[in-house]
Amino acid sequence: MATPGKVPILDRAMRVATGIVAGGALVAMLAIFVFLLRDSWPSIQYNGGHFLTGITWNIGNLYGNSMSSHNGVQAPAGATYGILPFILGTLLSSLIAVVLAVPLAVGIGLLLVEYLPRRLGDSLSFIVEMLAGIPSVVIGLWGLAVLIPWIGRDFGPWLQAVLGFIPIFRGPVGSGQGLLASGLVLAVMITPIIAATTRDVLRQTPRETKEGALGLGLTRWEMIRAVSLPWSASGIFGAVILGLGRALGETMAVLMVSGSAVNYLPQNIFSPIGTMAATIVSQLDSAMTDPTGMAVHALAEIALVLFVMSVVVNVPARILLSSAVRRGGDAQ
Amino acid sequence: MNVTWRRVKDRIMLALAALMGIIILVPVVGMLWLVVSHALPALSFGLFTQVTVGTGGGLANAIVGTFYVVGLGILIAAPLGIMAGVYVGEVNPGSSIAQFVRFTTDVLAGVPSIVIGYFGYVTLVLGLGWGFSTLAGAIALALIGIPYVVRSTETALSKVPRGMREASLALGASQTTTIWRVTLREALPGVVTGVLLALSIAIGETAPLLYTAGWSNYMPNLRLTHAPIGYLTYVVWTFINEPFASANSLAYAAGLLLLILIVIVNVAARRIVARSRMGR
Amino acid sequence: MKLSWRNGGIVAALASALLLTVAGCGSTTAQGSQGPIALQETGSTLLYPLFQIWVPAYTKDHSGVKITPQGTGSGTGIADAANGTVQIGASDAYMATAQMSADPGMLNIPLAISAQQIMYNVPGLNQTHLHLSGQVLANIYTGKIAMWNDPAISALNPGVQLPALKIVPIHRADGSGDTFLFSQYLSFSAPSIWAGSKGPGYGTTISWPSVPASISATGNGGMVEALQQNKGGIAYVGISYLSQAVRYGLGYAAIENKAGQFVLPTAQTISTEANSLVGQTPKDERVSLIYGPAQGAYPIINYEYAIVNARQASPAMAKAVRQFLSWALTSGNKATYLEQVHFLPLPPAIVKLSEAQIAKVQ
Repeated sequence: MATPGKVPILDRAMRVATGIVAGGALVAMLAIFVFLLRDSWPSIQYNGGHFLTGITWNIGNLYGNSMSSHNGVQAPAGATYGILPFILGTLLSSLIAVVLAVPLAVGIGLLLVEYLPRRLGDSLSFIVEMLAGIPSVVIGLWGLAVLIPWIGRDFGPWLQAVLGFIPIFRGPVGSGQGLLASGLVLAVMITPIIAATTRDVLRQTPRETKEGALGLGLTRWEMIRAVSLPWSASGIFGAVILGLGRALGETMAVLMVSGSAVNYLPQNIFSPIGTMAATIVSQLDSAMTDPTGMAVHALAEIALVLFVMSVVVNVPARILLSSAVRRGGDAQ
Repeated sequence: MNVTWRRVKDRIMLALAALMGIIILVPVVGMLWLVVSHALPALSFGLFTQVTVGTGGGLANAIVGTFYVVGLGILIAAPLGIMAGVYVGEVNPGSSIAQFVRFTTDVLAGVPSIVIGYFGYVTLVLGLGWGFSTLAGAIALALIGIPYVVRSTETALSKVPRGMREASLALGASQTTTIWRVTLREALPGVVTGVLLALSIAIGETAPLLYTAGWSNYMPNLRLTHAPIGYLTYVVWTFINEPFASANSLAYAAGLLLLILIVIVNVAARRIVARSRMGR
Repeated sequence: MKLSWRNGGIVAALASALLLTVAGCGSTTAQGSQGPIALQETGSTLLYPLFQIWVPAYTKDHSGVKITPQGTGSGTGIADAANGTVQIGASDAYMATAQMSADPGMLNIPLAISAQQIMYNVPGLNQTHLHLSGQVLANIYTGKIAMWNDPAISALNPGVQLPALKIVPIHRADGSGDTFLFSQYLSFSAPSIWAGSKGPGYGTTISWPSVPASISATGNGGMVEALQQNKGGIAYVGISYLSQAVRYGLGYAAIENKAGQFVLPTAQTISTEANSLVGQTPKDERVSLIYGPAQGAYPIINYEYAIVNARQASPAMAKAVRQFLSWALTSGNKATYLEQVHFLPLPPAIVKLSEAQIAKVQ
């Protein structure tokens, strides 16, 4: 593409400058990673693999004088740090969110691009984009004031009655706080993100192909199935991964509706849960009173695990997406 | 296949899609109603002119503080994000560095904001000794916003037809001129939308600011370090938890102002996109 | 208007010019700090409302100082006071001995006396002030007592028709001084269940036993909210929130003290408890006021602490801190301020101890 021979100085400077800034993103991430690793190192030494499989989170007796020691690192007596409940809470609530959000978002995307007249579509589009921008504390307020009582009194018992033959829907509905509420709040938060991207990729479906399909006598839905959805599948998949990433790391809104369970695994869809991000926020204050600093190190390790988790989600998504894009490029 | 059944199926799918559209309205309307109805007692002119005094007063300090810390954050995030986006989308799109940067920004976008906040607390507030300060908050917000700017810049650039670039280069323009005059200009709506997305995310953030910007009852001064600053999300998060009715309605009023700001940002984004369409 | 890049360029140029100006001003004002001294307070969300009442009253008469209080949490208050980010940390709990040895320069200065009530939402009985003991509360929070008409509760409340209603134990989701007080009361009053190696023990965050019906809430406001929404709920709530909760129609319990009496939190019973423990308050004032032995004393009370580093950044700063804290102990301890949050003034002997500690701030 570039002309062979001398590259003008200005161009070279521009390339170097943008390259440095782009590299800055790498440096920033690396810095965060190194920082998290350094800060969680004592916890990694103290806990070992038990950190990921343990169920009990107990920052120990801070007002006692005895210390417990492990691999040469000190922590308050009785301290155990196990985050399996938080890992499960994070994964399960995000899973519920994605399962609910995908049909919603795809439906909205189709509505916006294929069905609604432009004007109406624009208003709905605007509402969806606004929803994406609503601060998570406000969504949390709504979850707390409206969603939770509704689940506790109406939706939960109904769900239990209708789907109670499936084990995860059995068991006490409780207050409405918990896995289901977290999943719903997360679904509300990630639906607009997925929907907006879905809309954008659907819009890029070649018009000639669509019109051709309709001209062949296909109904609109058949056209969507035969043309639009296959054409946009990889883009939608990328959007879903983006949404999943957001759900995994969402903090404030989940903190307000999850029930902040510590020390036990979710039993059913109504169980109180804790998520990794929400636990970091809710426990940071207490952790700061630990004179050995181990509780803060353990929270840093949660952040590290979450960080690694988002890498793990992104790598396969990237590989899949880039191959899908390449295929799309060839077809063009 | 039966023609009527195909028609019916088409209708069913339309109805389902419409249902999805209606379902998503429920939380939006619910949130608006919740916030507006609770904010009413606190709405007055003084909200915009007075600072927070004790458990009541106005939100002038938080409003100005939000503009200040968010604006500064975007001033940091936008140029850096656009430059990185240009590199990834235009200068060297196929390179392994670009691949890596794309991947990095995706991961960075997924890092919980509290982690960014704590990172800022340890490195800027304590490490550099800035204390709770505007700059620490702005940098935390910039770190959160940059991935969105990079991503949308790159996407917008990738949509620019190849022919436009080639024409410009064939006319003898340098790559820098081509990017500045042709490609970026063509991609500008997408870039600006990305910046506005980062802006609306920054406006709504709470967790990263609690540990970097702190909070202040007073109007912000121009000191970038060693002076905490107020912002609206703090009011929502903290005042909702107070035993005083005046503080509670102030929290909802702050929530309402945040919603209004988000609407303004979104309207701005749409106008930019619409205008650029018309201009073409 | 067609959006052009040139316009964009102008905007960007203006923006960066603004940034530079701001940065320039910032550094100049940072050097010449002639203005008022700015103090920062952060920490306990229970003390935060009192600081919000104190600060406007104080700064009205003392124009040379600006004070910004912030509600973050006791742990943050202690940590930020220790690392110098803020001048005054606020905490519901005194610093532990191990913590003191990690940060030896820290002072724990009581500013007022607070209490905690046990609240419940049992329709029909919210005016009754049910009697509850530490033993029963511990059994409720471990799930052994699950219904309001459990014989153990009936035995404490003769003549009261208790409903067959499920108990919803509510606890704090975030780390909290309130959790510290409540779990300390359970540890002292029901040691066989709550203390020891098997029990949850006490702290700002504890490992709550798994009870299916139980829920968690953030902040005292969240506790009141959750209680209001859950019939059969029971929750521990800081006394600042008492009038709000009573306005919502929630009930609060008479709690068994060490002398075996069931006592409501009133100014009278709280000062009885406080006065009986004055003699046990050491010079550094780090002491638990929970479950004292006196007759007629309410068993869940505490000092609300200012956590202050004895060595401040500058003499001027130290003076400002001393003046504000002394004011808080004298003029600030008046009922007009404290009553709004149901706190009680410190006994004179404790004021003396606190003043001696304030004098150490340099």
